[in-house]
Amino acid sequence: MTTDQIERDLRTIAVPRDTDERLRDATRARLDEQLLVHPRRRPKVRIALGWAAVAGVATAAVLVSIGGPGGSAGPAAADAAILRHALRSMTAPANMIVHVKETGFQDGTPVGVEWWQQTSPPHALRMIKGAGGQQVEGAEDGTTSFQYDPATNTIAETPDATAPALVDPIEGVRDQLATGGAQVAGTATIDGVSLYKIELPTGVTAYFDTTDYRPMYLDNPQGDGSIVRTRVVIYEELPMTPDTAKLLSIAAQHPGSRVQARTAPSKP
Amino acid sequence: MEVRAFLAAPALRVREADPDAALVAAAREEPRMFLALYDRYFDRVLGYARLRIRDDATCEDVTSTVFTTALAQLARFRGDGSFAGWLFQIARNAVRDVHRRPRAEPLPLEAACAEPDVEEQFLARERAAQLHAALRLLDPEQQHLLALRYGAGLAFDEIAAIVGANPGTVRVRVHRILEELRRRYPHDD
Repeated sequence: MTTDQIERDLRTIAVPRDTDERLRDATRARLDEQLLVHPRRRPKVRIALGWAAVAGVATAAVLVSIGGPGGSAGPAAADAAILRHALRSMTAPANMIVHVKETGFQDGTPVGVEWWQQTSPPHALRMIKGAGGQQVEGAEDGTTSFQYDPATNTIAETPDATAPALVDPIEGVRDQLATGGAQVAGTATIDGVSLYKIELPTGVTAYFDTTDYRPMYLDNPQGDGSIVRTRVVIYEELPMTPDTAKLLSIAAQHPGSRVQARTAPSKP
Repeated sequence: MEVRAFLAAPALRVREADPDAALVAAAREEPRMFLALYDRYFDRVLGYARLRIRDDATCEDVTSTVFTTALAQLARFRGDGSFAGWLFQIARNAVRDVHRRPRAEPLPLEAACAEPDVEEQFLARERAAQLHAALRLLDPEQQHLLALRYGAGLAFDEIAAIVGANPGTVRVRVHRILEELRRRYPHDD
């Protein structure tokens, strides 16, 4: 055996094969997907849902309102690109439905929130929040707000002309990314996966996938100094179709429920 | 003597312009231009992976991962070295990650049958398996050099730019590694 023969054998191992074209195409398709850029057209949501009354899941509102350390100097160009990609990944095009599900534990109690929202007017939304086995479900469509009571299988309808909006950790992250207060703090490994770590002025730390920049985890500092980690189980954009539109409607989700009309609360 | 004199010479290196610089700059402006870099390096990265990893499916996974990672992190490539150097560093890291995983039992070689081409294929696989086994006995830096040379098919000056040595040094190192590999490689005689 000579070194020439070894060189020949080494080259033979690496020689292109017929099946390489399949891999070439498949990888190119993956890159094409990665290159898809979502236009930044999502309107900014404004106010909090009035029915977010479950104590455990009030976390969601708390999480985005806690003050934290301020930002420092502007990020480097590479970091700016990461922040831009992260923002894009959370900015859905018009005429879509964003579907988000987050889960976590607070004081040992499982908490979770799942919501669907239209990205075009009237920005209808439906949300389910739960803590320790209890759930509340509500919806708004720009003219009426709905609240579902599973105990009586009743939907309470209240006239409400305010634009639907919600308070949610994910929304807070998007706002901070959009306003330039966020900064990249390197990478972190969670459950064996390397993720971009982005710190927000609110004190929340968000972790993003290094490939498609989707939000994966949120670390939410609490008043007692503890951190509640929320996992973003689902972050997806659905096309607006008659079927997916049902996801925004409480009545469509509970077809056998009784509807109870209520009058709008008088303003102070 | 000649080799010793060569190794002792001061390492004067002139940094040449990166042949991929224009495409990288274009990809920064228009991310789809990354596909041109992909086309340029696909075969080389796959060849590199094939020399470092025996399992075909893992080679394919690594190759895909290298390019999706490179695209995701292109903004982090600051142009301090060549794009090829950066890309093959990603490949090297991906291979290292594979080697760190608990090793699965390699699939058994398919049994040879009477048909000559299948038998030939079997023998080629067996030979490749032996060579891979010998390669794995080298240190990772040596494997990296051989994979750049015979897997990616890079010229000595291209490898030199990647590893930060001069081409002559790379040539000598590769030759020595081949000698070492020859000693470890099973002989027919």
